[in-house]
Amino acid sequence: MAQKSSRSNLKLFHRGAFSLSSFYLLFIVSLIIMGVDFRHQFLKKIKSEISILTSPVAYLINLPTNIFNNSKIIFATQTSLTEKIKTLEQTNYSLSIQIQENELIKSENKILRNTLKIRRDFRIKGVIAEIILPTVKNGYSIITINKGLKHNIKDGSAVINNTGLVGQITNTFANFSEVRPITAEAYAVPAIMSNGRENVILYGNGNGELEIPLFPASSSIKINDTFMTSGVDDLYPKGLNIGKVTEINRTKSPKFNFIVITPFSQPATFSQITIVNKKND
Amino acid sequence: MIKKTITEQKRERVSLIILFLLALVLSNLGIPGMADSTIMPNYFIALIITLILNRLGNLNLYKLVIFGLIIDLFVGQLLGQYGFIFICISLGDYIIKKALFIKNEKQVITLISLLTLISFIALCGSSLSHGIFISPKIIFLQTILTFILCLILNFFIKKIF
Repeated sequence: MAQKSSRSNLKLFHRGAFSLSSFYLLFIVSLIIMGVDFRHQFLKKIKSEISILTSPVAYLINLPTNIFNNSKIIFATQTSLTEKIKTLEQTNYSLSIQIQENELIKSENKILRNTLKIRRDFRIKGVIAEIILPTVKNGYSIITINKGLKHNIKDGSAVINNTGLVGQITNTFANFSEVRPITAEAYAVPAIMSNGRENVILYGNGNGELEIPLFPASSSIKINDTFMTSGVDDLYPKGLNIGKVTEINRTKSPKFNFIVITPFSQPATFSQITIVNKKND
Repeated sequence: MIKKTITEQKRERVSLIILFLLALVLSNLGIPGMADSTIMPNYFIALIITLILNRLGNLNLYKLVIFGLIIDLFVGQLLGQYGFIFICISLGDYIIKKALFIKNEKQVITLISLLTLISFIALCGSSLSHGIFISPKIIFLQTILTFILCLILNFFIKKIF
């Protein structure tokens, strides 16, 4: 006759190493750890403390990719380099003309601002840094840069480059920091259309794009319209390029459209970035 | 119950460390040729499912939780999350094996798919309840890729051990 085993004798593994009580204990412990970490952000602090140990590991992990990328640059042909120089000379020439125009606009802007008594500093003060690690960490979009707490980098600072807004500092360690790109899931940035009409919030969708889930259908918007930071949050400087409209889709409601925006700066296409100092710093 | 020799246990331990390091390296690199680098299997979940299924590395619940905490320190978003996922996997494995008799290849594949599903439900649940947003599209693709990786790992581990 088959014997019925009692509850206390239940074993989780065939080796009989643990009882069900161990399972309950560890289950509750892991839930508590998650809850405490969510409230007090212990993982960030621990990661910051042990960054001396983890950063060499991360460096070694990315060494093959870095060597491959560097070798690609070294072995670039002479023709491609000559072409690059030509293009750069042309860009330089057009930029020098633009600078002259900008100087005039800047001085005009200053006079107008003084007239309107608006006290707002547009000059961006920040720390220049370089991207050292790739844009993915176990499936999450993260950019690692070579400046950290030692260089006065702070959590929440905006990160920009010559093409526009890149993201925001999420974790700072002694010698490096982690940046969340603007296209990361749940990333939100207040923006304004380049014509200054529509104030919106852009959300990252995790697929290299930004989106506006509910954009009023009555507002005029077309493909290639550009969005820039509105500066209402006092975190990002006003007027930084974000991206351009690439898709306008209908939603279930006829009152709203779903807008997809492709950012100007893609994490794979830049290496130099600037971390903007917070205004109260 | 067949007891493993000291040499076998040593070999398992070394293999476990190598597999962990490999998973750590791969989790920091995207799949070559894939445009979106965030689409990748969850190497750690695939590794743990395979180890639990094949009873390798003499893993018990305490070791799984500690293993999970180490993973959290390197690639985690929330402390204790991977420990929680691994506990859920082992519980799923225990319940399924208690209820069903897993014998042939088809049954093993079904068990792997169920454990992968359990782990990703635990990952989604723990992430969303703690304010970590995961795109449904990415999680769906990750589940499929992790299942495929589990099958590959299971095949190789059975060949080696």
